[in-house]
Amino acid sequence: MQRGDVSDRTPLRDGTMAVGSRRGFVAGLVALGCGAGAGAGLGAVARGSEVTARLRPPGAGRQSDFLAACIRCGQCSAACPQDALCVVGGWSVLLGGDFAGYATPEVDDPRARPCTLCPEHDAMPCVAACPTDALTDPGARDAVYMGTAVLNTATCFAYNGVTCRACWHACPYPGTALAFDERLRPVVAAEHCVGCGLCIHACLTEEASIHIAPRREQAARGGAA
Amino acid sequence: MIRRVGRFGWSRRLTALAFLTLIAVGGRVDPGWFTGTAAATEIGGVLRLVDPLAALESSLASRSLGIDVLLGAGLLLGFAVLMGPVFCGWICPMGLLLDLNEGLRIRVARVLGRRGVQLPAWHLPRSSASRLRFVVLGGLLGFALVGRWPVFQIVSPIQAVASSAAHGVTAMLALSAVVLAVDWLAPRIWCRALCPLGATYALAGAFAPFRVRVDLAEAGRTPCRSCTRHCPMGVPVMEEYALQGRPSVDALECTRCGACVDACPSSVLGFGVVDRSSSGGNGRRSGKTDAPRSAVAEPAREPRKVCEVGS
Ligand code: SF4
Ligand code: SF4
Ligand code: SF4
Ligand code: SF4
Repeated sequence: MQRGDVSDRTPLRDGTMAVGSRRGFVAGLVALGCGAGAGAGLGAVARGSEVTARLRPPGAGRQSDFLAACIRCGQCSAACPQDALCVVGGWSVLLGGDFAGYATPEVDDPRARPCTLCPEHDAMPCVAACPTDALTDPGARDAVYMGTAVLNTATCFAYNGVTCRACWHACPYPGTALAFDERLRPVVAAEHCVGCGLCIHACLTEEASIHIAPRREQAARGGAA
Repeated sequence: MIRRVGRFGWSRRLTALAFLTLIAVGGRVDPGWFTGTAAATEIGGVLRLVDPLAALESSLASRSLGIDVLLGAGLLLGFAVLMGPVFCGWICPMGLLLDLNEGLRIRVARVLGRRGVQLPAWHLPRSSASRLRFVVLGGLLGFALVGRWPVFQIVSPIQAVASSAAHGVTAMLALSAVVLAVDWLAPRIWCRALCPLGATYALAGAFAPFRVRVDLAEAGRTPCRSCTRHCPMGVPVMEEYALQGRPSVDALECTRCGACVDACPSSVLGFGVVDRSSSGGNGRRSGKTDAPRSAVAEPAREPRKVCEVGS
C-alpha cells in the first residue's frame, strides 16, 4: 500500500507500466490460473458440507444440484403468478448458517400461497423464466419432485374420528399421491407425491396436519435421502 | 483540484441509474416488459441477458450449459469484446454508488483540505491491483468447479444492491456498505483490485477496438495530467499513453467511463474505434520511449484508421 493525495488517483511511485492489452491479458490469465488453484482447494474443503433443504420451485433437482446451478437472480419468483415463491434473504439465513441458500427461491408459505403447478400454463412460468439449469422442465407435471407430504396423524381429523377429505380434494393427484386407507384416512404415497403443498393449503385443522419434507439429495421419488 | 463532471460523467450516472430504476420497477411494479437483477434480466419477454460471471460459475458448478446461459452471457461478452468493460463504467449499480461516493469524498477532501486535514487515500501498486482481481476471479471459478457453489452470486455487493432494489433482499447490502466505507480509505480499491465481474469483462474486452484515443499531436503541448488524476481506475493516461506515443488507451482497467475525456481541458482525448489490424498503433516499439518530446515530434500514426465518435 502506498499513500497518495486524495485527488491524485494514480500515484506513479511504484513505477509500473500501464498494463496494456497484450501483457495485461496474459498476466490476467496467469493470475486467474493461480486463483483457480486456490479456489479449487477451498472448494474441496467446502464440498459436501450440509445444506439446508428448502421447498424449491418445481423443476429443481437435488438440493445440491439446485444450489450449484441457481444464480440467485430471482427471475422465477418474479414470474410466479401465484406469488408462491420468495427469495430467501435476511440476516437469519446468513446467521443461521445457510450461506449457500442466501438469495435462492423457495415456496415459503404453502399454507397461504402454495405452488399450484400452474396447470393453466403449458410450461410452468417459473421454469420458463429460469435462465439456468437450476429449474428444468420435468416433462409432465406428475414428474415434479419438490418434496414429500408427511401427515401428522396426531392432529389430522380423519385419524381422530372426524370425516375429512380436504387434502384429497386439493391434491392434483388424488388416489395416487394421496389415497385413503380402508378406514378412510389419508395416506401419502411417497413415490407419487410431487410435494406441491396444495394439501397444506387445504387442510382444515387449525395448524396444518400435513407438511412437506423438502427433497434433499434423493435421485428419485420415494428414494432414501 | 477542480473536479470536472462533464457530459460523460453525467451520462454514465444516468445510464446506471436507469438500470437500477428498471430493476426496482421490474421487481416491484412489474411493467410486463422488464424483470431482472444484476444476475439476469428479461427484456420484452424475449431478450434474456445473463451476467457472464454468474453464467460461468453456474455452468462450472452444475456441469451444464443451457441455451439461455450461452446466449444471454454470450451477448454481453460479445458486447465487451467490441466495446470493452463498459458495464463497469456505465451500468453497474455498485459502480454508480462508488461514483457518487467518490464525488462526495472529493468534496469532503476539499473542505477538509482547507483546514489542513488530509483524507487518507491508499492505493495498492498497480502491478498488484491489476492482477489481484484476476486471482479473485480464478478463485471463484476454481471454487465453483470443485465446491459447486456460485459463491459470487451469494456475496456480490453488486447483486446485493440490485436484489435489494428488486425484491428487498437486503442482508448482503452490508457488504456493499463495507465496499463504500473502504472506498474512503482506499479509493476504488474494489473495482481496481477485487471485483471479479470487472475482471471478467476486462479479459473479454482486453482487445476491444472501442477505446479512449489520444491525439498525440496535441498531447505533448498540454501534459497537465488532468486525465490521469481523474481516472477512477488509476490508468496513467498521460504518462503511459499520451507521452509514450501510444495513440489509444488499451489498459485492461479502462472502463470507458470517460472521466479522462471529461477532465481534459484541451482536446487530446476522445472515444474512438481503433482498427484492429493496427492494434491502435500501440506496438512494442513505441511502448518503451520515455521522452515526452518524441510524442510531439511523432505524428499520430494512421490517423485515417481512427474514426472519432466522441470529442
Ligand atoms: S408452478 Fe406456478 S405456482 Fe408453482 S412455483 Fe412455478 S410459477 Fe409458481
Ligand atoms: S430463475 Fe433459476 S437461477 Fe434464477 S433464482 Fe430462480 S431458480 Fe435460481
Ligand atoms: S399429497 Fe399434497 S403435496 Fe403431495 S401431490 Fe398431493 S397435494 Fe401435493
Ligand atoms: S482511462 Fe479514461 S475512460 Fe478509461 S477508466 Fe480511466 S478515466 Fe475512464
